[in-house]
Amino acid sequence: MNEQRRFGESDHEPLHQDDILKQAIGEWRDEVPSRDLWTGIAEQIAAQPRTRSRQIAFSLPQLAVAASLLVAVASGVTYLAARPDVTTSNEPVIQAYGVTGDETEGNIVQANFADAQFNAAVTDLETILRDERDRLDPRTVLIIERNLKAIDDAINEARMALNDDPANPYLNSHLADARRRKLDLLRHATSLASGGD
Amino acid sequence: MPVDDVFLAVQGDTAAFERVYRAHMPRIFNLARRMAGPEAAEELTQDVFVRAWQKLALFRGESSFATWLHRLAVNVIIERFRTLGTARERFLADGETVLEVAPAVRTKHMDLSMDLQAAIEQLPAGARQVFVLHDVEGYKHEEIGDLLGISPGTSKSQLHRARQTLRVLLNQKVAS
Repeated sequence: MNEQRRFGESDHEPLHQDDILKQAIGEWRDEVPSRDLWTGIAEQIAAQPRTRSRQIAFSLPQLAVAASLLVAVASGVTYLAARPDVTTSNEPVIQAYGVTGDETEGNIVQANFADAQFNAAVTDLETILRDERDRLDPRTVLIIERNLKAIDDAINEARMALNDDPANPYLNSHLADARRRKLDLLRHATSLASGGD
Repeated sequence: MPVDDVFLAVQGDTAAFERVYRAHMPRIFNLARRMAGPEAAEELTQDVFVRAWQKLALFRGESSFATWLHRLAVNVIIERFRTLGTARERFLADGETVLEVAPAVRTKHMDLSMDLQAAIEQLPAGARQVFVLHDVEGYKHEEIGDLLGISPGTSKSQLHRARQTLRVLLNQKVAS
């Protein structure tokens, strides 16, 4: 005998509208505490430590190996970038140190290039905007500049917070969001100035 | 663009955390009141926000902050009952008889809200939690099972008995 038949009703379905229980739940009013609870909370949080995101610690030998690897990868990338006949491959660098492509791209190279790509994209868009700004209404320019400043403030705050807590996923996500908002705004503004929208 | 109070609180800004508390306290207080009763609700609400402050660095932003806080609150409340209650007191026993009474006609003077509050306080803590989580907060039996450490089948059977008991108690109130 299954549970549904044994109980005579479906207990994972909502209550019927005419069920007295449904009506009582609908009328179950919210209440407020009899006192301000914040004072007690403030006292307790002042006295207690907070959980921090998982921090990764390295020993000195590990740091030395990591530094050597970073220098080697950076040198390899610079060498490849300086060679006019080489297009995209970074295979020699990866193979020389026995590191797989996924590991290298995920941990070191991609992170550095993400910063560089973001900065390059922002610089390009700011240059376009500076050249084309006379084509925009001054009030529009003012709004764009205000918004850009607010986003820059958010980016700077997130970066400062990440200095103290680099592994915090929320802060990383916040920084990524702020950067995306900045690029979106710049793209939209340049599109407006160029008459694209 | 206003900076997010949760973001500031993550960085240790207690003024921002107080704003977070003011915004979310009513929901958490009433969750605690419904799951644990009015006597324990204020202290539990404080415990929830102290725990939230300690765990803020772990908030990943994958769900909304309200969802994260609600889940944390449910865990804090359940933990309290695990600490205080015995298994026997937590759930309605299998053989427990629930008397059926004829439904009464409601009058406009009835206060079902107060009646439900009084009735739910007569349920064992575990059965009350299953009822509140399922019928008031919208959790599924699988989620309730995970939270309370019981099987989904037990959650269903406790909900069934809690509903029956509450109907009987509400109808008795109405009849009287």
